[in-house]
Amino acid sequence: MPEFTPDPGTPLGRYYAHMRGRLGDRASHPLGTLDAVTIGRYALTIGATDPVHHDRDAARAAGYADVVAPPNLLAAIFEWGAGTEPGGLGPDGTPSRADQAGDGLRAMGAGEEMEILAPAVAGMEIVEDESLDAVVAKDTRGGPCVFVTTLHVFRTPDGTVLNRNRRTVVRRDPIEEP
Amino acid sequence: MTELEPGDELPRLAYGPTPLDLFRYSAVTWNPHRIHYEEAYARSEGHPGVLVHSHFRAALALRCVTEGLGSGWALVRTAYRLRRPATPGDTLVYGARVATVDGDTAELELYEDHPSGAHGLEGTAVVRRTGEGRA
Repeated sequence: MPEFTPDPGTPLGRYYAHMRGRLGDRASHPLGTLDAVTIGRYALTIGATDPVHHDRDAARAAGYADVVAPPNLLAAIFEWGAGTEPGGLGPDGTPSRADQAGDGLRAMGAGEEMEILAPAVAGMEIVEDESLDAVVAKDTRGGPCVFVTTLHVFRTPDGTVLNRNRRTVVRRDPIEEP
Repeated sequence: MTELEPGDELPRLAYGPTPLDLFRYSAVTWNPHRIHYEEAYARSEGHPGVLVHSHFRAALALRCVTEGLGSGWALVRTAYRLRRPATPGDTLVYGARVATVDGDTAELELYEDHPSGAHGLEGTAVVRRTGEGRA
């Protein structure tokens, strides 16, 4: 599908221009400690009953230092720590960026690529390195949309990379849909 | 499974996400996106109802792989795309088929059979043999 440029006078066009200007932006975020309760709750929610997610002894018997996270847990946590205060949430409930560039646009996960380089186990301190990799606009059957791909590298403070994750989120403007 | 051959199918995993499942998934991932728990809001955005999280569906697809293969294999890489939205009440059936085997590494095709009759999720997973223990 050929790339196109959305009308710069529309909310989607302004979002596209804004995000293109941020291409290559990088940031690092200390996320805190991955704990056994989060691992157990996540595993329970997705129906993963393997004891390595729930029982330290079982995890150790399997060669892990402690209970181990299901493969996509690190990527799936939307916000770490306390998160965003209520006044900082946008109309769709997600954190509103200071520039509000994406507010009012529909956002959905579109896909992901993930490398698992080391197990994430309870007790690890996690740091996330984030960079904006790609911003692509397409005119689809569902209307114009913008795909934003961000690389997230989850690592320990000493630099051991656990998980490298490239996630794409698509945004559309509901009023531009056919 | 100890030996893999191209064309091998892993046991399929069927899951029918409920609103309670979506609530718990939003809670444990601290995801405040209203499309996952507020029916009227989700419909106002044009969705057929509250949406099953993309990461939730990926987690189910990966369970099909890790539970189907057992502890002698470790997931090292995966990629997927969402093709259709999914809502509570849908029965989603996950499958994985061995595409290639190269020594101790195999690549599998992942899919989610969606009530529409199409695939709701398509992707790949690369696994590596770990022997008796786990990676």
